[in-house]
Amino acid sequence: MPFGQLFVEGLAIGACYGLFATAVVIIYKTSEVVNFAQGEMAMFSTFVAFHILNFYGYPFWMAFLITMLFSIAMGVLIEFLFLRPAKHPTILGMIVITLGAEMFLMGLASWKWGAEQQFFALPINPSVTYEPIKGMIINNWSIAVLSVSSLIMLILFVFFKYTRLGTAMRATQQNKNAAKIMGIRTERVFSFAWGFSSLIGAIAGMFFASRATLDPAFMMEPFLRAFAAAVLGGLMSIPGVIIGGGLMGLIENYFGYIWPEWKPIVAFIVIVLVLCIKPSGLFAKHYVKKV
Amino acid sequence: MDKKKLFVAMVVLAATVAWSGVSLAANPPGFDDNEIRIGQWGPQTGPAAPWGSVARGSKLLFDIVNEEGGINGRKIKYFIRDDMYNPAQTSAVVKELVERQGVFAFVGGVGSATGMAVKDYLAQNKIVWVGPSAADDNFIKPLNPYLFAVYPLYKDEASILAKYIVENLKSKKIAILYQNDAYGKDGLDGAKDRLATYRMQFVAEISVEPTEKDLGSQILRLKNSGADTVLMYVGPTTAAIALKTSANVGFKPQWVSSDTLSDYPLMFKITGGLWEGVITGAFGDIPTSTTNKYVVKYREAAKRLAPQERWGTFYMAGLLFADPIVDALKKAGRNLSTESLLKALNSVKGHQTLGPPVTWSEKQHQGTDSVMIQKCGPNGSYIELQGWTKNDLATWNK
Repeated sequence: MPFGQLFVEGLAIGACYGLFATAVVIIYKTSEVVNFAQGEMAMFSTFVAFHILNFYGYPFWMAFLITMLFSIAMGVLIEFLFLRPAKHPTILGMIVITLGAEMFLMGLASWKWGAEQQFFALPINPSVTYEPIKGMIINNWSIAVLSVSSLIMLILFVFFKYTRLGTAMRATQQNKNAAKIMGIRTERVFSFAWGFSSLIGAIAGMFFASRATLDPAFMMEPFLRAFAAAVLGGLMSIPGVIIGGGLMGLIENYFGYIWPEWKPIVAFIVIVLVLCIKPSGLFAKHYVKKV
Repeated sequence: MDKKKLFVAMVVLAATVAWSGVSLAANPPGFDDNEIRIGQWGPQTGPAAPWGSVARGSKLLFDIVNEEGGINGRKIKYFIRDDMYNPAQTSAVVKELVERQGVFAFVGGVGSATGMAVKDYLAQNKIVWVGPSAADDNFIKPLNPYLFAVYPLYKDEASILAKYIVENLKSKKIAILYQNDAYGKDGLDGAKDRLATYRMQFVAEISVEPTEKDLGSQILRLKNSGADTVLMYVGPTTAAIALKTSANVGFKPQWVSSDTLSDYPLMFKITGGLWEGVITGAFGDIPTSTTNKYVVKYREAAKRLAPQERWGTFYMAGLLFADPIVDALKKAGRNLSTESLLKALNSVKGHQTLGPPVTWSEKQHQGTDSVMIQKCGPNGSYIELQGWTKNDLATWNK
């Protein structure tokens, strides 16, 4: 069994799950809504990058910047158009609204770019590999994923811990009404959370698309895995989520090596077991049941 | 009082049964003096939409037939219905065509599950169905008098590919990556049967779910097995991920794949060029062929009649699957009936245009066991490695 190589592969894909799970968690942290449109928002942004690259022929960094701006605008807009008009919605109602947004985005992408798979590449040569330790081949894609997700984690950690906006976001999640009384403009906080989450999702979407193919349905499966990683990590804690993602990637790759047939479900079995023992996830600090 | 109620209920029930019986019997006829109505379902939208070109390819064939004056004085009126690759939708659109429009026959139809959803309904209504765009044992066993298959079975194809790998590629260590469903397992079985005749076994048999996006551990298993050739029975996305992941971990075997991935320009594009050098089976001739007169004729007609379409493997398959019915309708003559069409189809022998020779009889409705072997060249071009080859181990025709 190539332990070292499986470690590299598991960690890289795990970082990708973790990164995407962070996007899920940012929205959950502020509004307690699981955004089921997260995958399709990332898919749509990736298609926008694809479109800019292939139809306008812009260099990658420029396409990347435009896509980032687009993804923020899309996140803000979806929150504004789909969720805000709902008067006093229940959590379940909001989740159903995000499902509607998901189908809308998927339909729009199929109409605009077709259902055929497309090729999407990052400006790195994935065939260039390094072997720092014998038996551990690491390629540019893995290096890029690991470094980008570490950087984003660091930024997020500082943001939530030390900035006023980060504190406002946490306050909004803990008690929306009290936060309002304290002068926090909670609606702005929601807009910001959706924009920010959409941006991180778009980056993760580009990593997934460059490893597989780009089509309107390509983020469905990664979303489920990222969501599972988020649950494993505790849905509230950013470091917990990234560890959850890493664990997910590693468990899948080690078990998947021995029993390939079990690979798609082994991580979910582990999650069920974890949740039986620790219902709030591995790293959640507190578990508050709202009545 | 109760008896009276019962009587009323029974009258209502009887009337309903009688009425539904009438509506069944009153399907509009499938043809008249001026036209023959033919239908096809296929995914024009949704996840399987890339295969929707099959149904549009058949349209080109019927347009050409009509342009040349039709069949025995009748034009073909052709209906395409979008079922989104969803069997429930297939049932609905097929019923609509049969009961409202009055359809004489169906051609093509992408998908096993979609076809299974309407197979019995079509037989009950005595509607002929030629050339399902999927290989499935259930289409030919037990014999369905109204269903005629053109697509070679995956078991036959896998057997022929395995023979090629052992005898022509001289491969000693062969592995297989297969989709965990009927398609993948048919490929696995067919190839295993062939390897057994050489007293060989796969060095690794790895299954994969069609939705999986991370194949890291699977590819490492293949790499560590020491395989020099990997046979694939998977979908296009899985194949693209497999090739990219292999490049990432420095694994460079000879890839061999089923005919479902024989659309080289598409595969070349979505793998970023890694598809070059991959060997596949093929159910149709090379789309860019200059020697097959039918390919040349239809390709030229497509430029004129359907310039918006890409002349590719699946578009051409639409012509290939529908082609035998045109021939049989001509033979059935002006005095057309379902019986005369069945008689003509059952006597098709060695009919060959865009694909392998097709032969049907009253006892056997699987038209062929032959595939071609092709290789992807630079820029997604086609190279023919081996012409139409029969499977000497086929069991369905014994």
